[in-house]
Amino acid sequence: MENFGNLMDGFGIVFSFYHFGLMAAGVLLGILVGVLPGLGAPNGVSLLIPLTFTMDPISAIILLTSMYWGALFGGSTTSILFNIPGEPSSVATTFDGYPMAQQGKATQALTLAFMSAGIGALVGVTVITVLSGWVTQFALKFSSPEYFAVYLLTFCSFIGMGSSSPFKSVVSMMLGFAFAAVGMDGMAGNMRLTFGITELIKGISFLVAVIGLFGLGELLQTMEEGLRFDGIHARIKIRDVWEAILSLPKHWMTLLRSALVGCWMGITPGGPTAASFMSYGLAKRFARKKDGFGKGEPAGVVAPETADHSAGTCAILPMLALGVPGSATAAVMMGGLMIWGLTPGPMLFIERPDFVWSTIASMYMGNVMAVILVLTTVPMFAAILRIPFSIIGPMIVVVCFIGAYQISGARLDLWLALVFGIAGYLLKKLDYPIAPMVLAMVLGDKTEDAFRQSMIFSKGSLGIFWTNSTLVATIMTLAMLLLFWPLIGRLVGRLRQQRTPN
Amino acid sequence: MFKAKLITTLLASALYATAAAAAWVPEKPVEFVVASGAGGGTDIFARTIQSIILKYKLMNAPIVVLNKGGGAGSEGFVYGSASLDDAYKLTFGTNNEYLLPLVAKMGYTADMLVPVTALALDEFLIWVNANSPYTDAKSFIEAAKKGDGLKMGGSQSKDTDQTLASMISEATGAKFTYIPFKSGGEAAVQLAGAHIDANLNNPNENLGQFKAGMVRPLCVFSSQRMAAGPKVSKDMAWSDIPLCKDSGIAIDNYQMPRTVWLPAKVSPEAIAFYTTMLKKVSETPEWKSYIEKTSQSDRFMTGDELRAYTKQDAERATAVFKREKWIVQ
Amino acid sequence: MQNPSGILMTRLTMEIAVALAAAIAGAIVCYGSLEIGTGWGDAGPQSGYFPFYIGLFIVIASCGVLVESVIEQRRYKQIFLTREQGYRILTFFLPMLGFVAVSMVLGLYVGLGLYLFGVMTIQGGYRIGKALAVCACTIVLFYFVFEKWFQVPLLKGPIEALLKIY
Repeated sequence: MENFGNLMDGFGIVFSFYHFGLMAAGVLLGILVGVLPGLGAPNGVSLLIPLTFTMDPISAIILLTSMYWGALFGGSTTSILFNIPGEPSSVATTFDGYPMAQQGKATQALTLAFMSAGIGALVGVTVITVLSGWVTQFALKFSSPEYFAVYLLTFCSFIGMGSSSPFKSVVSMMLGFAFAAVGMDGMAGNMRLTFGITELIKGISFLVAVIGLFGLGELLQTMEEGLRFDGIHARIKIRDVWEAILSLPKHWMTLLRSALVGCWMGITPGGPTAASFMSYGLAKRFARKKDGFGKGEPAGVVAPETADHSAGTCAILPMLALGVPGSATAAVMMGGLMIWGLTPGPMLFIERPDFVWSTIASMYMGNVMAVILVLTTVPMFAAILRIPFSIIGPMIVVVCFIGAYQISGARLDLWLALVFGIAGYLLKKLDYPIAPMVLAMVLGDKTEDAFRQSMIFSKGSLGIFWTNSTLVATIMTLAMLLLFWPLIGRLVGRLRQQRTPN
Repeated sequence: MFKAKLITTLLASALYATAAAAAWVPEKPVEFVVASGAGGGTDIFARTIQSIILKYKLMNAPIVVLNKGGGAGSEGFVYGSASLDDAYKLTFGTNNEYLLPLVAKMGYTADMLVPVTALALDEFLIWVNANSPYTDAKSFIEAAKKGDGLKMGGSQSKDTDQTLASMISEATGAKFTYIPFKSGGEAAVQLAGAHIDANLNNPNENLGQFKAGMVRPLCVFSSQRMAAGPKVSKDMAWSDIPLCKDSGIAIDNYQMPRTVWLPAKVSPEAIAFYTTMLKKVSETPEWKSYIEKTSQSDRFMTGDELRAYTKQDAERATAVFKREKWIVQ
Repeated sequence: MQNPSGILMTRLTMEIAVALAAAIAGAIVCYGSLEIGTGWGDAGPQSGYFPFYIGLFIVIASCGVLVESVIEQRRYKQIFLTREQGYRILTFFLPMLGFVAVSMVLGLYVGLGLYLFGVMTIQGGYRIGKALAVCACTIVLFYFVFEKWFQVPLLKGPIEALLKIY
């Protein structure tokens, strides 16, 4: 095992008090930016980059990646406590994490989220360690049709999630696609659906929508019910933390499936967001009791968190090996790499193995440290909820709007967040499923771009999605299987019923 | 909102009255508006300048870097030109400042910003996959003339890459199917995976793949060879790459100026201040090493020279856009 | 049917209103895509192809919701909002709206100060002194976290300009 030896060398380099200090500082700063909506990992990382100019690249990447882990964990915290996802990839965590918090199980939800995220990350790094050579080759096989197939697979695994009227699901998802289409059309270089409003040129940020739909919409609902957070007003016991940790083995199947989905989506550059949605969809589909999902089912927290983090860690590999950043944060880090004088690409593994393997080694340690630090701060975060509502209520509102403004410094976004807030309240009350809208907003334009690129490749023939490679055909088949799974399940059931009487 | 603007402008003019007599210096944080997403070429350009200014303390006012890459960078130009006399918004871009408004309604016009300095010229090259049969530009062009032509990938639509592709077709009769990707980096990976036949990336965008011997440069669109240096791939240095005009493609020069912009009505004193500061930046060893690492051409342009350059560049692009019918009214 | 005097809106009314709003949004999307080409060119779909059909789907599905809610009237004859709930929503929503409106003119810092102060004194019943202290601390904290540490400039108004706080 050549990789294993390299990894040990990496551990040797990383193992120093200086680097541990950097890791701790990075993780804590990361938790801070993650918890504050409006600040995300990309902000934090780009802010630290000037500090790293004087560091050696290994220390610098340790600081930046640690901050990234911290921010990911912090983002899950706000998803669970306030229903405000800090990062696109933690949206799926709100589906069951927030209901759990409302039922007074905030501590359990947070602990489950952190532990499964940690496990996901460790599985991810292990995959990177073992498969580093193969993964690079595999990612090169991906072109536009393959990307489209992966996105389609995500949508298919998620369809049928909303159990209410199918019309409402369609309205919700299509509205999401429409919002995603606003702004510049990257394929033709012209403006779409901006109606002459300059501030719409950059598009409708997915985060503004999410802040409104989830954060503000939820607050309105809470107010209407006159709940005033009483539900979350639970005491925090250290015992809850332990109980949650001990309950993890029960979810081994979800953990395993989600980690696999995460690794697969991280390596095939589908990304952590797609991974977390897909894994949530699969968890619900294969669960024995589907009714609990959306109402505080622990597996609904475990699934997206595990997949999110295993995909996030696996995505570092394509970044280093190919120079394709898997996320906004990775893009900033890549910029840093170039400023430090390193070229991301296949040669990085050969020219600077010390850098690559120290980075990978630091990912093991950084994640373990992040889990420990974040678990010790759980009681602190949960205590936020004990501040009287007339103070914390407006505070959350303010933070939501600051978050919306900060994304691109546009005034219009404040109004948009408000409108999305009202929409979120109304849609939720009328049983429109919101998840399809969010998924469509996140993946909508990527899917469209991949589709249209494929069409240019094939000169307009749809056959490309089956004939381009065995890879794309396999993914498409999987997608179709998932899409028609309920139908297939019913058919199989009927066949069995017919057989039994004979 | 209007009132707020009025008061700030009044305040700003009051500041001028006192400061303009002496040399102008910034008295509050200066915003570096980056017309690209984090990690893009323009972002690295701006952040390198920021780091040099900080290191040599070339300016006392703090710097705030803002990434505004939406709408292919137009978000940054709209933001940078929001008030025409705001001397505290330095916008970092390329020639996309004057190319973008030609092809779509962008919410700003090219003349709302003036170029302060250009600090570097980024080169364009024809790259092919290392396993492809084309070893020089001539055989590549011949192949592209046959049948449906070749698949050419690039960054963005109706931007520098697609413009150059169109110019090559016009000059040689080669046929290309242009496939726009989100960034040059994506186009680089697609080429390394042999999903496309060629791309027109800047040196830096393909550097990783070039080093690994996965892609091969055929020629560079410049009037002189690139700076000599050590071998980058197994057998090639940047200076070994032939010129496109010597390989039968009659395009003398095609480069992308890395440019810093200010709103059009900023006082000459402020422009002078930033020009001097950026001149100092361009003379530091850190700047030289940035130029070297990214394989760009070191070229400091300002004042009339720069204005003439942008005018000529815009005219040439306009001719292409007209031919391709990309122009919007 | 519950006591009609407490009802502000029935669910049916709301279903219809939201479905109509969605249908209008869909129509706007269709209209917006018409001008950028909705066809299928030689190089695949044009800019407006997907948005146009997306808009169309929105219109059709909204009509579906509309028909569904009219047919199943009985199921939807529940209360959507009672007077008391409506009142609670407004006491939360109006200050929030005020906050956004004020922030547009005076900047986020002033806006958040006024908003927090108003809610604490009027709805929370805090004493003015205590509310003032909390507001001041919050503003200062936010200022340092956003402007100083993370260098993220927030929307500022004329008051900050007068005080020369940038």
